[in-house]
Amino acid sequence: MMVTSLTKSISEISGNRDTNLSNDFFLPKGEQMENIISIKDVFYKYPGSDNYAVNGISLDIKANEWISIVGKNGSGKTTLTRLIDGLEECESGSIEIDGVVTDEDTIWDARKKIGIVFQNPDHQFVGATVEDDVAFGLENQGMPRDEMITAVDRALKMVDMQDFKKRDPQSLSGGQKQRVAIAGVLAIKPQIIIMDESTSMLDPEGRKTVINLIKQLRTEQNLTVISITHDIEETQLSDRIIVLNSGKIVKDTVPADLYNLGPQLIEYGLEEPFTNLVAAGLQDVIDFDGYITEKGLIAKLCELNSKK
Amino acid sequence: MDKLIIGRYLPGDSLIYRLDPRLKFLITFYFIGIVFLANNVASYAFLLVFVLFAVYVSKVNLLFFIKGLRPMFWLILFTVALQAFFTPSNDPIWHWAFLTLSKDGLVIAAYIFMRFVLIIFISTLLTLTTTPIEISDSIESILKPLKVVKFPVTQVALMLSIALRFVPLLIDETTKIMDAQRARGVDFGEGGLIKRIKAFVPILIPLFVSSFSIAYDLAIAMESRGYKDGEGRSKYRVLNWSKRDNWTIVFMVLVTAILLLLRSYR
Repeated sequence: MMVTSLTKSISEISGNRDTNLSNDFFLPKGEQMENIISIKDVFYKYPGSDNYAVNGISLDIKANEWISIVGKNGSGKTTLTRLIDGLEECESGSIEIDGVVTDEDTIWDARKKIGIVFQNPDHQFVGATVEDDVAFGLENQGMPRDEMITAVDRALKMVDMQDFKKRDPQSLSGGQKQRVAIAGVLAIKPQIIIMDESTSMLDPEGRKTVINLIKQLRTEQNLTVISITHDIEETQLSDRIIVLNSGKIVKDTVPADLYNLGPQLIEYGLEEPFTNLVAAGLQDVIDFDGYITEKGLIAKLCELNSKK
Repeated sequence: MDKLIIGRYLPGDSLIYRLDPRLKFLITFYFIGIVFLANNVASYAFLLVFVLFAVYVSKVNLLFFIKGLRPMFWLILFTVALQAFFTPSNDPIWHWAFLTLSKDGLVIAAYIFMRFVLIIFISTLLTLTTTPIEISDSIESILKPLKVVKFPVTQVALMLSIALRFVPLLIDETTKIMDAQRARGVDFGEGGLIKRIKAFVPILIPLFVSSFSIAYDLAIAMESRGYKDGEGRSKYRVLNWSKRDNWTIVFMVLVTAILLLLRSYR
């Protein structure tokens, strides 16, 4: 018990440190990337509600960064992404996408840079077939048909769904539907991709393919990824984790520091990472120093075995 | 819900499948019109041969068409019986109170029956060989002239195609809700008519609620993908008019000519 509380307090100190220094701390000078999204003092409340769903959030997101946004239901995660995409209009404050402040006139251009993959695969399918759905965003931009055909093929190839082009969405599995949704988003060549709990309704296999796909696309297409999730494994892929609570940012830190919080993670709508649980169970045998990655854990376990 | 053949698409490939959906759509309505021109055995026989020929060319099993008649069975029986027993005649075969059975009456009943069969067969042929989305595209294309009077043709067509796209999803949703209500003890299969209708209220309300939430999600998704309104959009799906469509028109002109010819023989 003593050990856990000690780790906890250490991690709290380190967590706070990161909040202050932000992520510039990890990048060498001169390599600091431009902010692709810059949110300043944004407030928003839903019509008829007394509480602010987004209560004074300021946040800078750099190009090619992978950000996880976590927090309990109703903490304002989805609202925040809707504000970024201009699907809701903020009450006060400003949002800059790729250097342009969004307003009624600029939002349509901003939306071309942002693609959102939503939670329920069935509720975002507009087209009657896979290819029709991928083409929807392009049709909205008024792209000529011959260009659309190549763009649709390209996007379907990226998500490895080209063989399903003519299929009816109803005949696809959840993971396949989400891949098509990602293709629909990629077709418009966005810079930012927002995953709004996109993997939460999938089976473990579908989840794995979708996450790996995003991981791979992010490097290939130089995408900025914002992922709203309750899945601890998904957050391990991110550069930064933002914890929201009642519309406020309560933590802005790197994954390892967040995982050090141990059982406190549950308060943020997350489960403890598997490695944490193993470490907690073995704390009498092995000396763990804070959060350990899966690789690190395996190394420690092997060490233990060889000592015997 | 699986029994309904009318309005169901059957994947396949044949000349009929490859015809321009606009043409198929218009021909279907044209044919329903000319069915009413037939007035004797020869002309009805000719139209039946035409329909059977179309079915043969489509390579769709005739059984599907006969199944298509099934939901209309009672309506057909009722109309045919009405014609057979209520046609007044001076030379009845059988007569009782207000019911009269005569040769004329039977002939008219047979004609009515033929009309039903012809119309149901040809419309089943349209829906079996044309995807719902092709039909909605055809409607959009046919209604295009209405743009002049500010009728929102593209929006209506998108609405139609989304509605079609969500039918299977809503059927799933209905099944789910029905199962959930059954688990709570609602019995859909028993009781009188009123009781059965009442049993559907606990399905309809959740179904409405979930439809609204789906609609909301979809609207958000569409807006995030840049959908403003119908204007300024390009089209990914296009309909291609080809030579065989021209030939089909010529063929239909011939069919009409022969029909008119047969009609004049009394």
